[in-house]
Amino acid sequence: MIAMVDCNSFYASCEQVFRPDLWGKPVVVLSNNDGCVIAANKEAKSLAHIPMFEPVFKIKDILVKNNVTFFSSNYTLYGEMSQRVMNILKTFSPMVEVYSIDEAFVELTGLNNINLSEYGQTIKEQIFKYTGLPVGVGIAPTKVLAKLANRIAKKEEIHQHVYVIDSEEKKRVALKKVKINDVWGIGRQHAQRLQERRVFTAFDFAYNVPLAWVRKEMTVVGERLWRELRGQSCIEFTTIPKSKKGIGTAKSFGKRLEDLDMIEEVCAYYISEVSEVMRAQGSCASYVQVFIHTNYHSKIDKRYSESCTVTLPIPTNNTFVLISEARKALHKIYKPGFRYKKVGVNLSGIIPQEYVQANLFEQPSKISNPVLMKVLDGINNKYGKATVASAITGTRKHEWELIKKHRSPYYTTQWQELLKISSKS
Amino acid sequence: MQRLISEKIRKGKDRHRAEVSKQTGFPSAATHYYEPPIDLNNELVYNQDSTFFVRVEGSNWSKFNIWDKDVLIIDRSIELKPDRMALIVKDGEFDIVQFSGESTQPEFLLWGVVTYVIHAVI
Repeated sequence: MIAMVDCNSFYASCEQVFRPDLWGKPVVVLSNNDGCVIAANKEAKSLAHIPMFEPVFKIKDILVKNNVTFFSSNYTLYGEMSQRVMNILKTFSPMVEVYSIDEAFVELTGLNNINLSEYGQTIKEQIFKYTGLPVGVGIAPTKVLAKLANRIAKKEEIHQHVYVIDSEEKKRVALKKVKINDVWGIGRQHAQRLQERRVFTAFDFAYNVPLAWVRKEMTVVGERLWRELRGQSCIEFTTIPKSKKGIGTAKSFGKRLEDLDMIEEVCAYYISEVSEVMRAQGSCASYVQVFIHTNYHSKIDKRYSESCTVTLPIPTNNTFVLISEARKALHKIYKPGFRYKKVGVNLSGIIPQEYVQANLFEQPSKISNPVLMKVLDGINNKYGKATVASAITGTRKHEWELIKKHRSPYYTTQWQELLKISSKS
Repeated sequence: MQRLISEKIRKGKDRHRAEVSKQTGFPSAATHYYEPPIDLNNELVYNQDSTFFVRVEGSNWSKFNIWDKDVLIIDRSIELKPDRMALIVKDGEFDIVQFSGESTQPEFLLWGVVTYVIHAVI
């Protein structure tokens, strides 16, 4: 059996743990740059007219009128709280697959003679007791069914956030409850085509659609889903993270930038970030892509967007080499006279660093200089991000950084920002 | 099957090795006696995943010997037993109480049990 554990409105819940004055009240979390609402708790969702992914300036009045508290996203806090939840889950089973920041699969196979429903309750209660975060638990024979059980646990209050599918009968009931477009892994297009074939629920899909059709129309991915829904486990547990195929970062500036100098600094900063990830997973990139664009939505500003990809002579993960290549690319695409909103970088063509081939003229080790990179990472790990950095990253981060006006403190990672308690009397 | 829940989770300790004199090659006399230095995280934090640090403002809890700017170590995994101090929530606000164990005590929501108070003296 497999348990799918997920945190209820995770970002909002993380904020509420430290703010008892907001317990039971509507809370939303905004995206980077405070652009739009990306998460809302149950109370905020029940207000119904708070549209998710709407620009904040459009709905600010609604938020204020309904006494909704809003926070800038605080990923440092969410990441740390997530780590706690995952660590606690690991005390329940040696096999835990972290699926996202707020979801994990827990392998329960081999735990015989236990009452799964009670076990699920214990997991839920312990996570709440230790962290203050509410979770839902779905337990079933396969991952897809566990995800489905989790959905039911969340939707139907009588189950107290834990639902177990442990019999043929319960499975059929559960499958009939879930609409086809709510099944994990079925996208909008497939859902539409299935609905045209009068397939409306997960049950219709698993028992009224022949395997041959699924295989032909939805490939092996669809077949796995079909089998999993029928109770045959075929999506394996992956506890070792897959190496990334490409890695990039792009965030809007805190304000519009026109100056090449400043954009260069941001670009170099992003390259430092991604090349660090690259080294941490022991791989090298073959291509660097840089792109810039102005605000698509602006009616006043002239619009411009362009990207450029550079092929590296030898794949590398050396920050300095990558920065200088990215800089060349940026110079090619930058045009003066525009108010830029965003610069982004992508590293791709990723290969393990042991497989890097030398070319006729250059030695990989000479270009990548692993010793220097090790020292750089060592210092930054010990003394904090960007303690040592390429000079081109500059010292004006505060001028271009994302706006996070309503960020909560880094309660769990910064000694200066601890939760403060005081008494009125 | 009953799952064992112990209050203190013990962590592995670093292995420490004595350095050998570079010049003479002689091992230190302390070779087999080396121990890692004291790490307050190991001593003061019973369970890292349920421990939070909280800063006190004001001297309203001086009766518990808790003063302005003190840092409390709060462990949410520890049971609230009589005489233990706890961070609680009442009417949406934090407060610190010493639990008497009697049912006559007013209702509150437990946030976590105070395990240590860190008080700076300089």
